[in-house]
Amino acid sequence: LIALTPCAALAAGGCRAATPPESRAAGQAIPRGGELLVSLRSDPRSFNRHAARDSTTNTVATLMHAKLVRINQATQALEPILAERWTTAEDGRRFTIALRRDVVFSDGHPFTADDVVFGFEAAYDERTHSQLADGLMVGGKKLVVSAIDAHTVSVTFPEPFAPGIRILDNLTILPRHKLEQTLKAGTFIKAWGLDTPPSEMPGLGPFILERYIPGQRLVFARNPKYFAKAPDGGALPYLDRLVVEVIPDQSAELLRLESGQLDMMTGAIAPEAYAPLKRAADQGRVKLLDLGVSRNADGLWFNLKPGALGADPRAAWLQKDELRRAISMAVDRKVVADTVFLGAGVPVYGPETPANKQWYWEGTPQTPHDPAAAKALLATIGLADRDGDGLLEDAKNRPARFTLLTQKGRPNLERAVAVVRDQLKTIGLTVDVVLLDAPAVIDMLLNAKYDALYWNLDKSDLDPAINPDFWFTSGTSHAWNLQQPAPATEWERRIDELMRRQIASADAAERKRLYDDVQKIFAEHAPIVYFVAPRIYVAHSARVTNLTPAEAPPQLLWRPETVAIGR
Amino acid sequence: LTRYLARRLAFALFLVLAVSSASLVLARLAPGDFVSESLGTRVSREELAQARARYGLNKSVVAQYADWLAAAARLDFGDSMVYERPVRDLIPERAANTAILALTALLAATAVGLPLGIVSGSRRGGVLPGAIRATSLVLLSMPPLLTSLFLVFVAARTGWFPIAGMRSANVAGGATLDLLHHLVLPAAAIALPLAAMLERLQAQAMSEVVGEPFILAALARGVPRSRLVWRDGLKAALRPVAAIYGLIIGTLLSGSFAVEVITAWPGLGTLMLGALRTRDVFLVAGCAGAGAVFLAIGTLVSDLALGLVDPRASDAGADEARA
Repeated sequence: LIALTPCAALAAGGCRAATPPESRAAGQAIPRGGELLVSLRSDPRSFNRHAARDSTTNTVATLMHAKLVRINQATQALEPILAERWTTAEDGRRFTIALRRDVVFSDGHPFTADDVVFGFEAAYDERTHSQLADGLMVGGKKLVVSAIDAHTVSVTFPEPFAPGIRILDNLTILPRHKLEQTLKAGTFIKAWGLDTPPSEMPGLGPFILERYIPGQRLVFARNPKYFAKAPDGGALPYLDRLVVEVIPDQSAELLRLESGQLDMMTGAIAPEAYAPLKRAADQGRVKLLDLGVSRNADGLWFNLKPGALGADPRAAWLQKDELRRAISMAVDRKVVADTVFLGAGVPVYGPETPANKQWYWEGTPQTPHDPAAAKALLATIGLADRDGDGLLEDAKNRPARFTLLTQKGRPNLERAVAVVRDQLKTIGLTVDVVLLDAPAVIDMLLNAKYDALYWNLDKSDLDPAINPDFWFTSGTSHAWNLQQPAPATEWERRIDELMRRQIASADAAERKRLYDDVQKIFAEHAPIVYFVAPRIYVAHSARVTNLTPAEAPPQLLWRPETVAIGR
Repeated sequence: LTRYLARRLAFALFLVLAVSSASLVLARLAPGDFVSESLGTRVSREELAQARARYGLNKSVVAQYADWLAAAARLDFGDSMVYERPVRDLIPERAANTAILALTALLAATAVGLPLGIVSGSRRGGVLPGAIRATSLVLLSMPPLLTSLFLVFVAARTGWFPIAGMRSANVAGGATLDLLHHLVLPAAAIALPLAAMLERLQAQAMSEVVGEPFILAALARGVPRSRLVWRDGLKAALRPVAAIYGLIIGTLLSGSFAVEVITAWPGLGTLMLGALRTRDVFLVAGCAGAGAVFLAIGTLVSDLALGLVDPRASDAGADEARA
């Protein structure tokens, strides 16, 4: 009952409170100057984006550096940033990119094609072990990049790749003149550590780092040499300064926001924080935005690696499609939404959520909540209540029992596994929940030492072609059976084949049809059972203006140059 | 005395070594490692193996510990895997921040707890002693974590104090007033339960001392009660408090960890929490070792304080050293 009380508030107040990206009336001047105070949960791990992929390092890179192109997180369109325009060759594999000519780094050094080539060299250098490398490969192969002249680069893909230069959104452009020697010396990955003087780290981004106090804050000042201009021709960014406070605890973050000691949190708010923030929003102290349904949903999957269970007699039923389909029917998704996300979630039945408007398959079967049908399905794989105790046993009267692993310290996951355990008990399945911290969960996953796992695999892009590591059987994120040397099942082989064609095709309609087929096969075999996708809420102080909120993180700060402080 | 101090120093070194070693080994033995946490499932098994080799995680626990121990003998405690910086450079600044918080809390708790303990322990009955005792019991039952959450809530509602952090963004480093302003909330969260504990200890000791024959005799000779309580009685009653002072200093560190996280105080607590989450084994060992240094210093301070208030204790220490 206690859990359901805020649910009502959230469902009633939140789900109707969809707020479109903020816009200002035509002719209304956007205020310039001022200081924005935002929070992050942890320190960055490095100032070198190649060295770390955590969200803080990524956000800091977004402030300090620029890319050739950027995916507009609000519209999903590709925007030119340092690239001015590009042309595609007949074969669709070679791109010629013209760079902006009016761009200099914050130290005054001109930006040229050499900096772009250097970025790829750094990513692909084997001594670097760059965190950006896998996002800049196609089919496991490198792109071939060369400078045609000082302001033109050529990018050739190793094979046909439908999303094209969309993957260049993954590349942060760093100054060759500052880092070239470290790459030659093989020390690039250690360059720009956290003790590097800010003056030694020029960038092309809207802000320059002024001061970093470990464990406390990062202070950024506007980059006076930033190349982009506002629609009125004025300089960007609008802000004079941006201060990032390191606040490890979300409760403290929320209280600071509510009391006016913070302008915005960079991440989405937890469901339990909605009610107090709604009150603050009603009193005009903060603005609360509903950014819609998340592109990611938590999922449950079993370890489907052949032989992973060894001589365990449960192998006869634990890896069967019927078990997963029965679980999908047994769990009431509305209860999951109400308990885990306090009502702010939508049922999900496949790998894409309704947030992915372009690629979501409208024909995705909506599995009904039907415990009786689930029990009947389990009987077909030999699981039945043989001793009348309400719990299922296999053909040899051994209990139908498995361990469900998830990550400790993430309340959503912890609540969800509790709901799943309770709901599966109603059909006689016994679930033992195990909570471990993230490194331990990943270790279990990588070594296939688990029965079942409840977790969240975040998509890096809405286009499925950008997530081949999830779809291909050889992929590093093919969760239920990682990095297979050859497809373990016929249906996975078919998905491999469909995805190969989907990625290579230049015909948008064909790509959609092929991906629908992939989702159809996925629905038949349900290698991952999805339940609910949460709605994403963010909050900011009433004085922040000109935001372009987006569902993907950092929701309010992916376009930092346009954020302004109202008067 | 020199030999005694040398023995204490040797014990401190042993303590630091034992705690750091145990932390390193336990962090290594826990399932998962820094490589799986940082690279996750996005890279191939070969790349994971290469990364493990780079951080020495491909070695056995014993081999890695032996390497670390050999390096530690040269005061090289390894590099943090997360920050790619020597642990030796990362610890001092954070330890200093924790020390500022812990010492402030200790001073505040002592300044409040001891006098209140004398007041409540030297009087039988009355509204004031009763109120002090009741307040102490309430505070004692609240862990610093809860106290800090409550104080953060109060600060948010009133705006009297900053809710998180150590310094304001627009104040240059070294601004003492700004630091003190930020200190109020986390220091109070640690100091309140501590003051309550000191008050209870001091009150118990004082109530026993005021019944001692030498106090009763002095009272009979007409020595003013307040002088007996605040001078002679206090000195006699300080011994049990001084005896546990060292332990208090040691536990202050662990008590401050949770408060640091809630109030975003940039000390060892937040550093160690991050290190544990990411399995940054050398940093975990460094933070734990720094905690052991606090405990060793606390124990030494306790011994010295005990010697000051009770010369018999220092004599015993000297005898022990001579033996």
